Amino acid sequence: MSDIPDATELLAIARSTLLDSLLPRVPEELRYDALMIANVMAIAAREHTAGDAAMQAEVVRLAALLKEQCEPRAGAELISARIELNRRLAAHIRAGAFDDRDRAVLLDHLAQTAAGELAVSNPRALET
Amino acid sequence: MNLDAADTRARLESFLRAAAGADAVHIRHLHRLSGGAVQENWALDADMAGGTQPGPHQWVLRTDAAARVAASLGRSDEFKILQFAHAARLHAPEPLWLCRDLAVTGREFFVMQRLPGIASGHRITRDTALVPDRARLACELAENLARLHSIHPPQSKLAFLATMRARDNIAHYRQYLDQLTAAHPTLEWGLRWCEVHAPDREETTFIHRDYRTGNYLVHEGRLAGVLDWEFAAFGNPLEDVGWIFAKCWRFAGKALPAGGIAEPADFLVPYQRASGRTVTPEALVYWQVMAHIRWAIIALQQAQRHLSGVERSLELALTGRIVAELEHEIVGLTR
Repeated sequence: MSDIPDATELLAIARSTLLDSLLPRVPEELRYDALMIANVMAIAAREHTAGDAAMQAEVVRLAALLKEQCEPRAGAELISARIELNRRLAAHIRAGAFDDRDRAVLLDHLAQTAAGELAVSNPRALET
Repeated sequence: MNLDAADTRARLESFLRAAAGADAVHIRHLHRLSGGAVQENWALDADMAGGTQPGPHQWVLRTDAAARVAASLGRSDEFKILQFAHAARLHAPEPLWLCRDLAVTGREFFVMQRLPGIASGHRITRDTALVPDRARLACELAENLARLHSIHPPQSKLAFLATMRARDNIAHYRQYLDQLTAAHPTLEWGLRWCEVHAPDREETTFIHRDYRTGNYLVHEGRLAGVLDWEFAAFGNPLEDVGWIFAKCWRFAGKALPAGGIAEPADFLVPYQRASGRTVTPEALVYWQVMAHIRWAIIALQQAQRHLSGVERSLELALTGRIVAELEHEIVGLTR
């Protein structure tokens, strides 16, 4: 930890300033824009805090689903591995490879992936 | 786009004068209505002297937003659909004049009747005072949809409409996913599930394809209008039923499957009675899965409009973040 506010902290204070000080004075026709900006700041803060843990876990699950070896990766390598593995998984799904066998494992993986993304984009959607 | 600039306003007045054969036209008021990332709607209040429409009027001017969705029809086709739907008494606003001359505002537009009421899905699903009798509203929506679904192809006035049955939808969405750089395994799973569970035989009728809370007007608690006909097609009528039931269109009323306003039976009983069709629970789930896939595809297209730079927009960018929510529903519905 640093004694200088990090990105998450800056976004949090900027967002509460927007909502508490600016929003009451925002004209009605710009209110929706202001609320969208507040939402974007909350998403960006959660994404920054979450880091790449969810993506790491997703790539491990993807490799298992595709029965491949999985080496530890980070940064750009992690992102490109995720893109490549998802591309292959999508092609297998379309071809029917998960219709019966491995269907439950696939659904668990997809549910966990969506939950990871929702935890950043819209945590409230996970409550219902 | 600002239609209210003095020179645009003057050209609009000339257009209206010629269209209505009026002696004089004065636009009293012109302002953009909220909502509509795909289309812009402008409230247009005008005083007309002489011609076919003398007197004060409250109209809507509808035009393309900069960011069009690929699947949506152009304004001239939508104008024809409105003419047809208004004549068929489907609660469509009456279309008045279409303008294809780009010299007037820079884009195609049409002018239509402004119906009274509130469309906001958030308000309709939250504010019980707006809809004191929710079952009655669901019944009116269901009976109107059944009337819409009583129209079968071919229709000479709607010859330009595409036919989109279950397998057509699947092929269409796959074709779009194939154009993207990143793969979307959950959408692929949903599409594969829809392919495996596709109905053997399908009825084909006129369908609205955006018949949902947020796209109809409620006035004094009653159904007062159906908006946004730009996605209309021929297809399986149950697609419209799945769409209005889909969780993504329930707004604040997540626990009320029929459009976030009513229980399933409040909609399904009158729909089945009026249409003579049976909506099985399996069909209802099937078309809800398809609804979430379709909305996810549109959300991806809207995000793409932003990312590609065609239309930089906060709303379009944020729409891309809806996809995870839709994928979450697709997994839940197909387990």
